[in-house]
Amino acid sequence: MTNDPWLRALLEGAAVVTALMTAVAWITWLERKIAGRIQSRLGPTMVGPFGLLQPLADAVKSMQKESIVPRDADALLFWLAPPLTLALALGTAAVIPFSPGLLASDVDIGVLYALALSGLLSFPIWIAGWASNNKYSLLGGMRMVAQGISYEIPMVLSALVPVVLAGTLSMGGVVRHQAEHGWFVVSAPGVGFVAFLVFLLTALAEGNRIPFDIPEAESELVAGPTTEYTAIQWSLFAAAEYAHSLLASAIAATLFLGGWDGPVLPPAVWMVLKTGALFLLITWLRWSLLRLRSDQLMSLCWKLLVPLTLLLLLGAGTWVTLAT
Amino acid sequence: MTPGGYFFGVCAVVAVLGALATISARNPIRGAMGLLATIVGIAGMYVQLSAQFLAAIQLIVYAGAVVVLFVFVIMLLGPDAHGADGGKRPGSWARWIAAPLVSVLLLGGAVLLARVSTPQRFRAAPPGHGTIEAVGGDVFGRALVPFELSTALLIVAAVGAIAIARSRATKPSERPASVGATRRLFGGAIHPRDARTVDDEVAR
Repeated sequence: MTNDPWLRALLEGAAVVTALMTAVAWITWLERKIAGRIQSRLGPTMVGPFGLLQPLADAVKSMQKESIVPRDADALLFWLAPPLTLALALGTAAVIPFSPGLLASDVDIGVLYALALSGLLSFPIWIAGWASNNKYSLLGGMRMVAQGISYEIPMVLSALVPVVLAGTLSMGGVVRHQAEHGWFVVSAPGVGFVAFLVFLLTALAEGNRIPFDIPEAESELVAGPTTEYTAIQWSLFAAAEYAHSLLASAIAATLFLGGWDGPVLPPAVWMVLKTGALFLLITWLRWSLLRLRSDQLMSLCWKLLVPLTLLLLLGAGTWVTLAT
Repeated sequence: MTPGGYFFGVCAVVAVLGALATISARNPIRGAMGLLATIVGIAGMYVQLSAQFLAAIQLIVYAGAVVVLFVFVIMLLGPDAHGADGGKRPGSWARWIAAPLVSVLLLGGAVLLARVSTPQRFRAAPPGHGTIEAVGGDVFGRALVPFELSTALLIVAAVGAIAIARSRATKPSERPASVGATRRLFGGAIHPRDARTVDDEVAR
C-alpha cells in the first residue's frame, strides 16, 4: 500500500464502491428469485445457470437503450439527479466496519455521517421528480421529501440509542463495545430491541420500500419520481435503491447486532451474514405487505414512532446511568 | 500544494459557484439547489479544518432540514420547470445601481479598516477543537444559557407562525375551491382526494 493518505483513500474508495456495485447487481437477482418463490414462480432462469448472469444482461440492455429527456424538463437537474442519488446511497459505505481492520474511515462521528447522508437521500429523488416536469413525478417527489424528512427524526433518535449505550459516535467504537458487553439488541433490556425494530422500519421508509413505497405507488403515480427516466439513468436509481437497502441493513447490523462480532467464523463473514439476513427480511416484507396510505404513514411517524423513540432514548440514558 | 489544499480549493469553488447560482438563478428551485451546493461546499471545508462534527451537523441541519423547508415553501408558492416569466419588473434597474454601490462600500470599509488597524492572525485552535466532546462541553457548559434561550426563541417563532396561519384560515366550506395547494400547482384537482389540503386535515 502506498503511504500517501489521499491516494490510499482514493484506492480504498474505488475498491469499496466496486465491491458494493457488484453486490448490488447480484442482489437484484436474489430479490427476483425470492419474489418469484414467494409468488410461486421461478424468477429468472434463462441467462446462465439459475439465471445467474441476468444482472449482466440487464446492465448491457439498459446501457444500450436510448436516454430520453422530456422536452419541457429542466435538463441540467434531470441529468444530475440519478448520479447524485447513487453517490449519496454509496457514500454511507465509508464508515461501515466490515471487520476490525476493514473499515474505510473510522471517524469519530461515523454514525452521524451515515445518518446525514441517509437524510439527504430524498433530495435528489425529489429533484428528479421536479425536473421531469410531470405531475406524477412531482407528486411522487413531494411525497418522497415529506416522508424522508418525517422519518429522519425517529431514525436518528433510534440510532442514538446504541450511541448512548456505547458512549461513542464512531461505528468501529459501537461494534467494539458490543464485542465486549454483548449485542445491543439483547443487552439493554427491551430498549435495544425496540430501537432495532424502529430503526429497521424507518430505514424502510427512507429507502422507499414497501410498506412505505408511497412516493412510487405504481397504481396511482405510474412510477413516481422516476416516471420519465429511461435506460441507464433509470438503472442508476434502481441501483441506488438497492444500495441503500443493503447499506441500511449493514448499518442496522453494525449498530444493533454486533457488526463483525461472532464466534468461530472470521469477522467479515459474520458481517456479511448479518447484513444478508436483514436484507432477506426486508425483501420478505416487501413481497408480503401492502402499501400504507400517506395519512397512515404520517400518523405512524409523528404519533407513535417519535414519542416512542424519545422514550427509548430516555430509557437508554437511564440504563447507562444505572449501569455505571 | 498538498492534496488537502486541493480539496479545500474544490470545496471553496463549489461553495462560491453555488452562492452565485443562488442569487442569479431565475428559477427559485435552481436557486435552492445552488444554496445546497454552497452548504455542501462549506461542510467540506469544515472537514478539511478537522471539525467533522460541525460538518455532519451542517449537512443534517442546513442541507437536510433548512433547504428542504425552502423547497416546501417554493413548492407551495407554485413554480414551474420553465422558471419565472423573466419579464422586466418595475424597479429592476435599481439592482444595477445597488449591487455595485454596496460592493464598493464594503470593499472601501475593508480597506479602511486594514489601514487603521493592523490585521491580526487568530490564535491557532487547540487540538481536538472540533470534536463532539469540545462542542458538547461548550454548548452544555459555557454557552448553556444562550443555547436554551435560542431554543425558546425558535419555539416562540413556531407558535407565532402557527397562530398567524390559523387566524387567517376560514372554514373549508367558505373558502374558494381554487386556493388549495394542489390546485395552485396544477390548475385543478387531479383526484378528488388531492383537492383536500393540509389545512383541511388540520381543521378536521
